[in-house]
Amino acid sequence: MAKDKIKKQQIKQQQQIITDRSLYKFDFVGKRRIWFLVSTIIIIAGIVLIFVRGFNFGIDFRGGNLMEIKFKQNVSVTELRKVMGDIGYGSAILQSTAPDQYIIRTVPLDNKEKTKILDNLDQKIGIVRPLIQDRNVAAGFSSQIIKNALIAVAISIVGILIYIWIRFEVRFAVVAIIELIHDLLILLGFYAITYREFNSTSIAVILTILGYSLSDTIIVFDRIREEIRLTKKDSFYDIVNYSENKTLARSLGTTATTLFPVLILLIIGNQTLKDFAFGLFVGIISGNYSSLFIGSPLLVVWNNKFPKYKK
Amino acid sequence: MKQDKVNITVIIIFVIIIGLAIWSIFTYPIKLGLDLKGGTQVILKATQIQQKETSSSTTSASSSGNVSSDAIDKAMLIMLNRIDKLGISEPLVTKDFNNNIVIQLPGVDNPDKAVEVIGKTAQLEFKIVEGYDETTRTYKLGPTLLTGDKLASAKAGYDNNGRVVVEFSFNSEGAKQFEKITSENIGKQLAIVLDGEVKSAPVIKSTISNNGVIEGIGSLEEAKDIALILQTGALPVNLEIQEIRTIGPTLGQDSLRQSLIAGIIGFILVVIFMIVMYRGLGLISFIGLCSYVALLWGILSALKTPLTLPSIAGLILTIGIAVDANILIYARIKEEMYKGKTKIVAFREGFKNALKAVIDSNVTTLITAAALYRFGTGPIRGFAVTLALGIIISMFTSIILVRAILFLMLNSKIITPGFIGVKILKNSNPKAQSQKEQ
Repeated sequence: MAKDKIKKQQIKQQQQIITDRSLYKFDFVGKRRIWFLVSTIIIIAGIVLIFVRGFNFGIDFRGGNLMEIKFKQNVSVTELRKVMGDIGYGSAILQSTAPDQYIIRTVPLDNKEKTKILDNLDQKIGIVRPLIQDRNVAAGFSSQIIKNALIAVAISIVGILIYIWIRFEVRFAVVAIIELIHDLLILLGFYAITYREFNSTSIAVILTILGYSLSDTIIVFDRIREEIRLTKKDSFYDIVNYSENKTLARSLGTTATTLFPVLILLIIGNQTLKDFAFGLFVGIISGNYSSLFIGSPLLVVWNNKFPKYKK
Repeated sequence: MKQDKVNITVIIIFVIIIGLAIWSIFTYPIKLGLDLKGGTQVILKATQIQQKETSSSTTSASSSGNVSSDAIDKAMLIMLNRIDKLGISEPLVTKDFNNNIVIQLPGVDNPDKAVEVIGKTAQLEFKIVEGYDETTRTYKLGPTLLTGDKLASAKAGYDNNGRVVVEFSFNSEGAKQFEKITSENIGKQLAIVLDGEVKSAPVIKSTISNNGVIEGIGSLEEAKDIALILQTGALPVNLEIQEIRTIGPTLGQDSLRQSLIAGIIGFILVVIFMIVMYRGLGLISFIGLCSYVALLWGILSALKTPLTLPSIAGLILTIGIAVDANILIYARIKEEMYKGKTKIVAFREGFKNALKAVIDSNVTTLITAAALYRFGTGPIRGFAVTLALGIIISMFTSIILVRAILFLMLNSKIITPGFIGVKILKNSNPKAQSQKEQ
């Protein structure tokens, strides 16, 4: 009996709260056009850059050789370039990771060519063995990586679509997938805009974001689902806004706690770790942003076109 | 107080499991992956061996299409055998989703020789010479009469003239065939062909049954390698190197140190954040988070999954996920309390309402982790495993364990609005409260 009373009271009180628009602080849905525009601009800029300039593909994708070498003494880029040029590798890409340490990227090398380069560098500058790292990737290997990634993306999307469909309803599932694609495009766009190296780590990051960026969305959707059940009187617009406001503290909190370690990796990590952290950083923020400003407002747009709940 | 008994039991079970996890951490020290320990990883693509049919028909077109899974499995076994004979410890030979063979050699920082020995097909063939092409300076060879899989042994040595050779002997079946071949072809030249290259073509002077030598070898070193390869058998496939990756020991150590520091600082920041936001509840989630890390680490140790850079990234990411469930629940409890509910009702409702959201959001992440595991290679798989384990374990610690602790404390006086971080809480009148919120 007491339980019933509490429940009734709860429902009543819920209705009271939501009907009053002033009870939510931020009107996420009302300004949706601005957010849609912002996202469209970033995505289009990214796509244009992808087509005009392309990605800065790492050797995973182009094929090639990468050696990170510690020299016995400090050496300048010009000096190193001269030594490399003398033996016919003037086009090598040199990147300094410390005054006495370089990453040298070339075309794929066989053992003989590699020995020639290393012997020359050792004679003229002096290198510390074993090398810090050494990678040789055959050209064309990447087609497999890309194929695998695309399969993983496709399977994830279908799996998530079905799951949300079952747990919520079809419009929620479709909106979630739109949001996912939005996040992936933003992330790809950032790789193109910043011209950061795109390598197999980036693929791992993209796949991670694929799984993670929806968690915010689901939390908001869950709240909307609950509020729909509790309040029949309120407009869908208000329900969505109310739900977003109520989950805002959690969304920002979780984004913060997830970003802490990622940020630290971005600051102190080595190249691989930085690559990883960079993608995660962009992906986590865009996932959070899109669930607040893109996904839920899209639900309202959908409901305006095909009303199922009170407009 | 039946409820209390249940909660105490839950906590005791967790304490036991966490104890086991800690025991596991110390009993099975976590293995480091190649990217953290240093070593070499080679990815090889298997293609079909081109069969040289007869002398007249030039090499038949290579059909490097599908290589049977059996052939690859056999090749992997042979390679493992060769690695063993090279004396490299703890090698790992696996097959990825695309039927590429992935070889990991921890601690090997100059992989050139190892790779050459491991990846050599070592197809030994015996053919009768049918002529000599003066223009191309090559032998015209008859069909393959016998192959290296009928060898019983092979070893490097010197012949009477002091030249490096590989001596081999046949098994009984091979010996019978060899006897037949040599007896039928006395006076002709017998070509000994290794991987398509004619090593020598001695004239058959008499019937030989049991053994022979391969000549034309550069050095004793090379002879030893050939003998080793012949002993382990020919690979049933040709191999193309797709990627060789060598990580020196210093790079691995740096990565490990940096990611551990990031993990620890991140962890501390998360705990501070939780305590600032949720006061006493934050402290409870600290207990949950510690149990989470201990359990995940313990299970990873017990599973003997090597720790790689991506799996550390997964670990760091899941700290965020683990605490997310707590944030959701606490935010909900706070909300219910602001609505004026008593703390018992608020806690019940908070947990109940947040549970669905936690499960739904985690399942979507699990779906991706599963896809990653199925279609990823090496390190990405490690990441998928950590992510999936992290999500599942975090659901246990942040829902079941934290719930048991909180509900056990609920009746005591410790849990006050201040403990939860709820500032105003005098009234139990929802209306008054909702007005206040405005």
